[in-house]
Amino acid sequence: MRISLLSILFLFANLFAANAQDEQVVLKGNELFGSLSARQIGPALMSGRVTDLETHPSNNRIIYAGTGGGGVWKSLNGGATFNPIFDKYCQSIGCVAVDPQSPDKIVWVGTGETWTRNSVSVGDGLYRSGDGGTTWKKMGFENSDRIASIVINPNNSDEVYVGVLGALWGDSEDRGLYKTTDGGATWEKILYVDQKTGCTDVIMHPNNPNVLYASFWEFRRTAWSFNSGGLTSALYQSNDAGKTWNKIHNGFPKGKLGRIGIAIAPSAPDIMYAVIEAENKSESGLYKSTDGGGNWELKNGDFGLVVRPFYFSRIVVDPRNPDVVVKGGLSGSISRDGGNTFKGLGQMHSDIHDIAFDINDSDRMYAATDGGVYRSWDGGAKMEIVENISVSQFYHISTDDANPYNVYGGLQDNGSWYGPNSAPGGVQARHWNSVGGGDGFRVLRHPTKNIIYSEMQGAMNVWRYDVDKKIVNTIQPYAAEGDPKLRFNWNPPIATSDNAPDRLYIGTQFVHVSNDMGSTWKKISGDLTTNDKSKQDQAASGGLSTDNSGAENHCTIFTIAESSLDENVIWVGTDDGNVQVTQDGGKNWTNTISNISGLPKNTWCYHIEASVHNKGTAYAVFDGHTTNDKKAYAYKTTDFGKTWKSIISDDVEGFARNIQEDYVDENLLFLGTEFGLYVTPNGGESWSKFTNNMPSVAVHYIDLQKQTNDIVMGTHGRGVIIIDDISPLRNLTQDILTKNVHFFPTESTEMYEEAGFSGVFGSETKFVGENPTRAAKFIYYLKKRHTFGKMKLEIFDQQDQFVTSISPGKSKGINVVNWNFLKAPPVIAKGKTLSFAGFTSPRVPAGTYKVKLTKGKEVYESSIELTYAKNGIPVMSRKAQEVLTAKLYDLTEDLAYDVYEIDHWIKQGKKVLKDDENSEKLVAPLMNKLNELKESLVITTGDNYVGTAENQLRENIADLYGKIASNYDKPSSSDLATFDLLKKQYDEKKSVLEMIKKKDLAKFTDYCTKQEVKLRTQKSKEDFLSK
Amino acid sequence: MKMFKLLLLGLLCIGFSSVQAQTAEEIVANYFESIGGIENWEKLEGMQIDGKMKMQGMEIGLKVVSLKDARQYTSINFQGQEMKQGVYDGTDMWGINFMTGQPEKMDAEAVKAFSANEAKDFPDPLFNWKEKGYQLELLGKETMEGTDCFKVKLTKNPVVMNGKETEVVSIYYFDTENFVPIAEEMVSGSMMQGPPGAAPQKMISTFSDYQEVDGLYIPFSRTMPQGSMVIESVTFNPEVDDAEFEMPEVKVAEPAPKQ
Repeated sequence: MRISLLSILFLFANLFAANAQDEQVVLKGNELFGSLSARQIGPALMSGRVTDLETHPSNNRIIYAGTGGGGVWKSLNGGATFNPIFDKYCQSIGCVAVDPQSPDKIVWVGTGETWTRNSVSVGDGLYRSGDGGTTWKKMGFENSDRIASIVINPNNSDEVYVGVLGALWGDSEDRGLYKTTDGGATWEKILYVDQKTGCTDVIMHPNNPNVLYASFWEFRRTAWSFNSGGLTSALYQSNDAGKTWNKIHNGFPKGKLGRIGIAIAPSAPDIMYAVIEAENKSESGLYKSTDGGGNWELKNGDFGLVVRPFYFSRIVVDPRNPDVVVKGGLSGSISRDGGNTFKGLGQMHSDIHDIAFDINDSDRMYAATDGGVYRSWDGGAKMEIVENISVSQFYHISTDDANPYNVYGGLQDNGSWYGPNSAPGGVQARHWNSVGGGDGFRVLRHPTKNIIYSEMQGAMNVWRYDVDKKIVNTIQPYAAEGDPKLRFNWNPPIATSDNAPDRLYIGTQFVHVSNDMGSTWKKISGDLTTNDKSKQDQAASGGLSTDNSGAENHCTIFTIAESSLDENVIWVGTDDGNVQVTQDGGKNWTNTISNISGLPKNTWCYHIEASVHNKGTAYAVFDGHTTNDKKAYAYKTTDFGKTWKSIISDDVEGFARNIQEDYVDENLLFLGTEFGLYVTPNGGESWSKFTNNMPSVAVHYIDLQKQTNDIVMGTHGRGVIIIDDISPLRNLTQDILTKNVHFFPTESTEMYEEAGFSGVFGSETKFVGENPTRAAKFIYYLKKRHTFGKMKLEIFDQQDQFVTSISPGKSKGINVVNWNFLKAPPVIAKGKTLSFAGFTSPRVPAGTYKVKLTKGKEVYESSIELTYAKNGIPVMSRKAQEVLTAKLYDLTEDLAYDVYEIDHWIKQGKKVLKDDENSEKLVAPLMNKLNELKESLVITTGDNYVGTAENQLRENIADLYGKIASNYDKPSSSDLATFDLLKKQYDEKKSVLEMIKKKDLAKFTDYCTKQEVKLRTQKSKEDFLSK
Repeated sequence: MKMFKLLLLGLLCIGFSSVQAQTAEEIVANYFESIGGIENWEKLEGMQIDGKMKMQGMEIGLKVVSLKDARQYTSINFQGQEMKQGVYDGTDMWGINFMTGQPEKMDAEAVKAFSANEAKDFPDPLFNWKEKGYQLELLGKETMEGTDCFKVKLTKNPVVMNGKETEVVSIYYFDTENFVPIAEEMVSGSMMQGPPGAAPQKMISTFSDYQEVDGLYIPFSRTMPQGSMVIESVTFNPEVDDAEFEMPEVKVAEPAPKQ
């Protein structure tokens, strides 16, 4: 290879340029976050929307569940528990399919939910796993928006059909039915109708893979309407593996059709069922064919079969019995007579989207609902919920300032809740409190009183709940005389004030304010929306089946924020794209939207964050996905909206809904997008996605808890996710980032002293949310990960006495290391059994401790101050506890060394006895004395369970030590008396040992010296006790 | 001029080696190259590791002896008492029951699973992976512990767990700069069961403090979800008595002494 001089020069130029740039340290993603990690606290008691179930064809322990916003979950135990297996990818799932030929390995996932409600997310393509869901590969279809069906030829894993429903919010040519014959390397679109009509159900004849059926659906959403149905909706059949297709509508209703769900009976494939949404209501319902789709007959038009076809159109036939048909619906319906009559499935969460039969036993059934996966053991009569699928879908969350703080929020179809961010044993189902029915949205705690505001969809009810008195008042405002009809959004904004605790805002097209917690209301604005009448005909929404649930209400206020710095500054964002601000408490409003450039007109203003740093500063986040625009938009103003600047960089993927400003560092911002959380340390110049234990889930709302600096996220699919203490991300200067090691200053830490009984029962199958650490934290930055050479982290007291060592974090970026205020436990005398109390580690006294990080030859130091918990225990009492603990600690170790010495001499004695017969006269009595003494010091028989022997001195000392060391208060007089007794007993034993040493052992060593027997030297006490 | 060319070549290598496309096989080969050379690892007959497990403030002494002929044992030290766990004599496995202090055999399924994989994993699961029937797949790059890594999937031999055949899969994260693994994620089929409870938790171990022992590099620090392990010394080719692997006879518990 020849290299020209020019290319050499060019190369050098590049190298130097790269080096020059390197001087500025810009850290992206985990390079910055290091080991900073999120924790998930659920709740899972109501789970969340599950969209698709898939069984394994030969192993009934394996079940897959696709969810609306929480990814794909897999059960390995027949549905007892599920685990998430798709965290890194789009969490909105259309369908999951297992390859019949290679079911342990090949699994396909189509993203983008197809139950097209208003709050549905978007997909980003097709994925395939070749190892049962461990790893995934994107297989194209990036613009598919939502994938409804995947069908695999049971005789050929490379032949796969994919039904693309396509965009919900706009036209798309990506819709249609696709086929691959090379395992997904290339795809051919084999059936396409038009830009409005997508492919829903695709099924393959169970015995003939050339026979296929595919249904197509014309549908569309806008922010203010929904349409299901048109002349292009149809059912097609192919008998030649997709080459040619024929409509099979013999017996179908005439006119426009809506969504069509289809199923074939696996045990009698001539029998097919179709559930059809028709123009003529009396013709909607379940149709049956007994000749493989040639002719169809309407069997049943009950409510359960025709309800909300866009949300429920799944039909499933028992794999062993063609007469048993189940249909999803508000409650789910089951027929055991071939579709003539139906009854409801057993009671469970409403809104059933899919049903799966066990592969071997039709009594075992699974149902996918808006509230999780349910199992049945009796053919669908009694349903029980799977308790560990944490896929709750929050629209909004907030926090209070309790300790531990609570998280409040409202869920899609699962009401409103609050629960603690930590609880003994972890955050469990029983820790969550219900504070609202219906769909839940904004839930706010009164700033000073134990009162909670919550609401349901469209403000049908807004509640003020007095938690102490258990009184609920319904407080939503009504239209006053002369007012037009109030337009509440599906997710209506309510807001409290930092300036006046009893103040409450609510938005319709007007801003309403109450200064008495919602009892009386006044309007403080005119109509702040565009008031576009063409977007207000919700009564006609739905298409063939009217669907006026309030979900499409439009031209409404969506976000309200009063400045914490000035109560007269109020910001308002509307769903039709206005950003209004008043600086005089609502007398005058200015629409600032025209000052924003680069934003399409009428883009939904999802959130406005009023800055705490400056009253003219605010952030506005816009979401354009309801016009099929998936870009992220976030802007910042510092002059009351006169000018706005985009703060989005190319790093951000997915449309955004929420932003949170840090209270300390104005340049530190957190952005919630449809695919996760992004963080910028530099005011938006660059953003990094946060992925440590944080799935790619839609983040609908973010709060920053003030006392803890925790970022608390309301995700729409994985419940509440928290990043504890983000303060290390503040003010990350180049000075810090260019250091090899930087210790962040640690605030003084109160030593957590709450005890209690966690009583975690059922956690084998129930979700338990992770607690935050209550330990002291050392936080440091490493410029490079520590991989080679030694590294240790040690703690010393002010006298430079070693306290303990802990495992250091070694990540590049930020490391958080916890210390639970404990020093190393005492060395315990060796006995036959374990002394469980002896495992107790004593707490250190309050004070300042040094932290030494030794990395190779370099030593880095920091310190931390620990204070006692403020729970009324006097310092004198604590000191008494510490003194006795220390005495018992030392006594435990003194005894340990004594026993070590005894064991040492017994060993030496045994050896001499063995080698020298003449020694018996001298050694045997010594051995007897030593053994006798030892038996009174430690247990030498029995076991660790019910074969346990009577306690000896070691156990008695350790038991008292364990008791005292785990208390915080002063020892009782009986504790002190017991100590004195034990100390006396110890001293007696010790004098026996000294006597043996002085007399018998001296003789023994003399004898050994004479006989020239070399004895092993024993360890010094210091060596023996070193930790 | 010659110097200049050499320098240039050096620069080229530094600049390009990390961006060059790598196969999983090359990454693993580079790994053994960076930790002392595969031929030197090949020569080892056995290894003894002495160290400590640290779990929530508790420190437990630990000795792990593993031999080329597949035999191995772990000895843990609680309050001066040695208790053997995971003793494999080439055919059977046993360990001491904590309650009784007596040896018990490990269940047949676990022993079979161990024989299929771990028994062949001296001195490293990646050593001779091909001969052992393992498969490697490069999954791309990913940051782990803030560091750019090659993500390599290791599929071991399938084992039967709870009556069903299960894949055994680990994902290794090799630092792209130096080719040593800094983390391993146990994905499925691991003998190490996850923590009790329904909450999913990733089973990720990290490796650091690589240090040289007789020309070979070993990570002296490993963290696992349950705690961390710090190695204090490594002895190659230790002398081990065959009796260490023999399961002792079960002793009937002695009666407690009269007081």
